[in-house]
Amino acid sequence: MRRYPAGKMVDDDALNLWFCREVLPLEAMLMRFIRRNWRIEADVIDLRQDIYERVLMGAQKELPHKPQQYVFTTARHHLINRAKRAQIVSFDLVADLESIVIDIDNDASQRQLEARDELRRAQAGIDNLPKRCGEVVRLRKVQGFTTREVAEQLGVGKDTVEKQMTLGMRALADFMLGGSGKVVRTVRPKNAEEAGRS
Amino acid sequence: MSQENGRARETEESAASWLLRREEPEWTEQDQVDLDQWLNQSMAHKAAFWRLEHGWGLADRLAALAPLKQDAPPQDPRSWQRYWKPLSLAASVLIMIGIVGIMRTVPSPGGEQNIAQQDGSVLQSGQVRLATAIGEHKVVPLADGSKVELNTATKIRAAVTEASREIWIDEGEAFFVVKRSEKVPFVVHAGNRVITVLGTKFSVRKDGKKITVAVLEGRVRVDEMANGRVSRSATITNGDMAFTNEASTLVAIKSPERVATELSWRDGMLVFDQSTLTEAASEFNRYNKTQLIIGDVETANIRIGGTFQASNVDAFVRLLDDAYGLRVEQMENGVKISQ
Repeated sequence: MRRYPAGKMVDDDALNLWFCREVLPLEAMLMRFIRRNWRIEADVIDLRQDIYERVLMGAQKELPHKPQQYVFTTARHHLINRAKRAQIVSFDLVADLESIVIDIDNDASQRQLEARDELRRAQAGIDNLPKRCGEVVRLRKVQGFTTREVAEQLGVGKDTVEKQMTLGMRALADFMLGGSGKVVRTVRPKNAEEAGRS
Repeated sequence: MSQENGRARETEESAASWLLRREEPEWTEQDQVDLDQWLNQSMAHKAAFWRLEHGWGLADRLAALAPLKQDAPPQDPRSWQRYWKPLSLAASVLIMIGIVGIMRTVPSPGGEQNIAQQDGSVLQSGQVRLATAIGEHKVVPLADGSKVELNTATKIRAAVTEASREIWIDEGEAFFVVKRSEKVPFVVHAGNRVITVLGTKFSVRKDGKKITVAVLEGRVRVDEMANGRVSRSATITNGDMAFTNEASTLVAIKSPERVATELSWRDGMLVFDQSTLTEAASEFNRYNKTQLIIGDVETANIRIGGTFQASNVDAFVRLLDDAYGLRVEQMENGVKISQ
């Protein structure tokens, strides 16, 4: 891995690459860690996002040598801070981080592709989506259709397609990163009705 | 704390909307500027966008499920009979522009005779053979506006019409600048791999059973074929390389330097970085009639680095003599290098 002189910020491309190679593969493990130590399920996604933000802020100065240890240390600090602020006690945050055994292939630049497995996973991710959502994502990912083409194909409005596509994209990305792949609709006070039917 | 809930989801929603728009053909440079601005507003935006981009990209293999081109020729030449077209068509499918001089074989007037090549490849009607001699390098325009650049000692067949665009690499290496067409995929066959693109710049090298694909721009799908069907598929994008050997595929992602090195032949250069002398010699041997022969194991394992003119094997040999103090002997069939 390239080394960066002290004082110089890691550029975005390198940071992004590092994030994808070293941090995102840990996501399923990180989510388990958060859930084990935080009782309020509704906070979990925000916590993950905050941890990623902190991880990137720190790595921007210099890419850490031991990414896994760094990610989980950052996560632990963040949970402790949040707990203090919320004045909640009662977690086992003292969980010995050393005991988290992490077994991940770290070969950064090259990896043996398990193409069939990834394809299978992607298929399962799509099958997991609600019907309309899955249909839209399938047309995009498998057939390479643009939003306009999908809209024409299905005979629905472009807005509808966009909405379904972003929902499907988020769920499928989550699934590919080891999550549940459930579609999560942002709750709005009004107009929560999905435009999916037409 | 509860009023904060959903913050991450809102950010993710914006990220998804950007990512989706970026994939659309209407995406402009101004849009890119706006996206960069949004990303630079906070590390939270970057975290959400990069995560989504990566996760969504991991599902790219789904493209492998797309039906193959209906008339993709199967691997078994005997079954090509089904695809024979009437003679009248054969004339219209002769597509190369301005390359009459290098057409080694024109489909025979009967159109029904397969012309077996020495290497076993079969020239089908509608196909044109393009080839380069050792040390030769040329750019050939194709009928669809694409261009193919042939490296040394390369043999390919091309069949490019309005309805289909196909290339077979029988030997050697070629770089393609493919004119974008959503309707007609550009398909390159090399060994047991099929590379499918819509419009990109990439190279394919066939070295026995080893196939190397390097992507300079755009997106490329590499399918592994078994019994005429796709068994596995990998999608790689600019800066990525795929190395395949029979059933195995190794992908180097985001390595633009390696892609640049791989493509240095286009400037007539060879770039070595910590290569063994054996590797360097076999590269030079692709480009020159004067063959380098390595005399002993110690010499074979010497590591060298640097940029050399592919055609100037003499300069390379002099350097080995001067800088490494190696023994250079002129042999009947080449130059022997030893300790």
